[in-house]
Amino acid sequence: MDRQKRIRNFCIVAHIDHGKSTLADRLIERTGTLAKRDMQNQLLDSMELEREKGITIKLTPTRMMYNFEGEDYELNLIDTPGHVDFTYEVSRSLAACEGAILIVDASQGVEAQTLANAYLALDNNLEILPVINKIDLPSARPEEVKKEIEDVVGIPAMHAPCISAKDGTNIDEVLKMIVKEFPSPKGDENGKLKCLIFDSYYDNFKGAICLIRVFDGEVKVGDKIKMMQTGKVFDVNEVGIFVPFAKSTGVLKAGDVGYLACSIKTIQDVCVGDTITDAGNPTDKALPGYKKVQPVVFCGIFPVDGAKYQELKDALEKLKLNDASLQYEPEVSQALGFGFRCGFLGLLHLEIISERLEREFNLDIITTAPGVYYIVHKTNGEVLKLSNPSSLPTPVEIEYIEEPMVKANIFTPPEYVGVIMELCQDKRGIYKGLTYLEEKRVRVDYTLPLGEIIYDFFDSLKSRTKGYASFDYEMAGFERSDLVRVDILLNGEKCDALSIIVHKDKAYSRGRALTEKLKKIIPRQLFEVPIQAAIGNKIIARETVSAMRKDVLAKCYGGDITRKRKLLEKQKEGKKRMRKIGSVEIPSEAFMSILKLDDEDK
Amino acid sequence: MLGIYVHIPFCESKCNYCAFASFVAKSELQKKYINFLLNEIKNCPHGGDKVDSIFIGGGTPSCIDKKYIKKILEAIKEKFDVIENAEITIESNPNSLNLEKLKFYRRIGINRLSMGVQSLNDKQLKQIGRLHNKKQVFEALKNAKKSGFKNISCDFLLGLEKSNFIKIKSMLKSVKNKVKHLSCYMLQVENGTKLEKMLQEKKIVLPDEEKTIKVYDKIVKYLKRHGFERYEISNFAKKGYQCLHNLKYWTRKNYIGFGLSAHSLYKNKRWANANDFENYFKGNKSYIETLTKDKIIEEIIMLGLRCEKGFSIKEIIKLGYDIIKNQNFNDYLKKNILIRNGDKIKINPKFYGVNNYIIANIL
Repeated sequence: MDRQKRIRNFCIVAHIDHGKSTLADRLIERTGTLAKRDMQNQLLDSMELEREKGITIKLTPTRMMYNFEGEDYELNLIDTPGHVDFTYEVSRSLAACEGAILIVDASQGVEAQTLANAYLALDNNLEILPVINKIDLPSARPEEVKKEIEDVVGIPAMHAPCISAKDGTNIDEVLKMIVKEFPSPKGDENGKLKCLIFDSYYDNFKGAICLIRVFDGEVKVGDKIKMMQTGKVFDVNEVGIFVPFAKSTGVLKAGDVGYLACSIKTIQDVCVGDTITDAGNPTDKALPGYKKVQPVVFCGIFPVDGAKYQELKDALEKLKLNDASLQYEPEVSQALGFGFRCGFLGLLHLEIISERLEREFNLDIITTAPGVYYIVHKTNGEVLKLSNPSSLPTPVEIEYIEEPMVKANIFTPPEYVGVIMELCQDKRGIYKGLTYLEEKRVRVDYTLPLGEIIYDFFDSLKSRTKGYASFDYEMAGFERSDLVRVDILLNGEKCDALSIIVHKDKAYSRGRALTEKLKKIIPRQLFEVPIQAAIGNKIIARETVSAMRKDVLAKCYGGDITRKRKLLEKQKEGKKRMRKIGSVEIPSEAFMSILKLDDEDK
Repeated sequence: MLGIYVHIPFCESKCNYCAFASFVAKSELQKKYINFLLNEIKNCPHGGDKVDSIFIGGGTPSCIDKKYIKKILEAIKEKFDVIENAEITIESNPNSLNLEKLKFYRRIGINRLSMGVQSLNDKQLKQIGRLHNKKQVFEALKNAKKSGFKNISCDFLLGLEKSNFIKIKSMLKSVKNKVKHLSCYMLQVENGTKLEKMLQEKKIVLPDEEKTIKVYDKIVKYLKRHGFERYEISNFAKKGYQCLHNLKYWTRKNYIGFGLSAHSLYKNKRWANANDFENYFKGNKSYIETLTKDKIIEEIIMLGLRCEKGFSIKEIIKLGYDIIKNQNFNDYLKKNILIRNGDKIKINPKFYGVNNYIIANIL
């Protein structure tokens, strides 16, 4: 038991941009885990993309050694993502910890995600330790924020350390508090092996790597282990910790956080959230809390070059390994060929995955407009769940459709309540209430269709409130709604990849906006191309791309054909980006452009 | 058989739209140039080849001392086996032609006269910097006929200021019985030309290019009604008067160019002389390229589709490209965008002007 007394497993949670990664960097630096010169700024955000967006997507656990009152303590930091899309990833990390540091920005105070993460930590029975960050800013108001934390979150905050992660002010106080306030793990070292997989990633040499927290027993190289969800058994090849780079230790015991590799080649065999136990002497009860995450936003992803289908499949498989929330299944589109219907936790998640596919796997992909999934009740009593507009049955076959709703909490200074309500009404929201949290902060509650907010709700909210409002949502079941599918016809042929499902009242304006947008994007062809938007057989909007302009006929002097060749080369170059839909060529970016529709109409 | 092109890069003045290798030059430079040119012909490694077309172009060949032209032709005839009845063309401007000069040209064997008319509207002519007027055009045509020229061609420019179908049609109407061949181009604003500057300074207003393209389509129909067949994108001829030399460019026959910036194609090798006097006098080339199979295929299709005759499928297949398996190609045939006549593929004339788009899709 003595060993475990000197271990602290904790995470840091915060609203986005309140300084989580910066604090993590400071802790690593202060404990001497890495020399300052080895530190890259924001070390834990290991992916290029993460660093660029300034957000954490992937979790990287780090072991730090800290001497407190003559004793060496082992502090395991599990970093967590901060965006609303990644709630499940946060919950997995939390399950591996005993304590959570809740960072609050000294000038911005409690934000939507501060609250959501604090509740998540409370749900996981974690000890929560508030830390006030960014006290170096002139607008810092630490005392007020402390009170806010006590009032809004409901946890004591008067003794919260006031720090500046940027400057390194008061970092030691945080380290001391980690040791003093957070409970140590209390596992049974001699019990049956019980580990939580809280993340995984794929290594080309070692296979799937499981990031684990050992609760009971111990695991060492040579052991036979069993995954309790899948029932698969593996031999342990390597066991180790992160400092913050992987370092083999041969064994991990109760209370430890580290990694485990067993040459797992099939990545589906590793389920994040699953429990690992000893194959020969298994525990009878898996750890609680495992759940399959439900994606809420869907879109089609297709390779630009049809021959790259297999490559896309491999890439998705690899991404899926350390992103349990990513879901995909094969999809065939008349327009785009073979690809995948993918499910995401949100729009940011979608954007990150598609960017990772392009950057890390060097794939050119076409992403179709994102949508949600619907429950369709057919007249013959059948009930369908679908996310792909093109699989929607014809109107006569549909009794009614239900769409997913969300409960949205919008936090804002009171002066923006008006514009927020306007925006929510426009997005078919139903007003649920308004609460004054304090003099300068109001919470507006709405029920909104998810389909309306996945487009540009967040951006509109930010721009209408000059960035002051923040928002959080949770799924709130399905509601019956008057929805129709708007199809796009190019030259009279339906292009399935461009269909969208919208509310009847918005079908006309959406159809018009779509045709106008496509007119701008689709280059001229040999023939005139009509672009029509239709509901069933009824055309609701039409635009025309005129026939291709002929080249100017200039004199060809003295057999000099080099210029003609140059023009042809240019033509050939432009052709590469084109997709042929029936007889019409459209550039690959057209499919995603539907997403940007609302942005430009502002 | 071989075609010979000779470039005379001299003009009396540079036209406002011209971005081509032509210079207003003193007589010493002209003399030096002609001497060099004669040497170039003399030292050509392909001497002895049979020649059935000679084209003296420019610039304005008719503006230099006519004796130079005679020397050039003599040099060519000495070096090559110029067949009897070979097509020998000279390019000219109406203002630099007179009866005596025309008779001289006939005497030394020139049998085809190409005249840069461009317009028959004096205001337009002045605006683009041409030195002649309408009256001089008809004068020159009359003298050409008098000196025995039967094969006369005129160049016209579409898209000049205030140009429209009615105006162009009446111009063409007034010359259609006096010529056997017409070339119609569209005015193109090139970088660095005086025309470009005039446009920027709003000293000239040009009609919308798209309108001009439509006018062109109407002109094509008008010329067809009057016996001028469009045998190449911008060339029209009465029966039996297609320009043999010009066709060599489109059918990839061998041709050798002499003089500044002159281009050559000989046994699937392309090259061109330097574009400035300094480099030309050093014997420098602006490029040399031995064509790969892919390039040859591309050229056959690209150049063939400019012509009424089109290209041969067999020839393409023989070079290793099974074009009949190309889906777009078949699609275009089905939609009558490409037209098949036995072994030959040509473009539906309606789609001249979008050739590149079509070609890029069938390569």
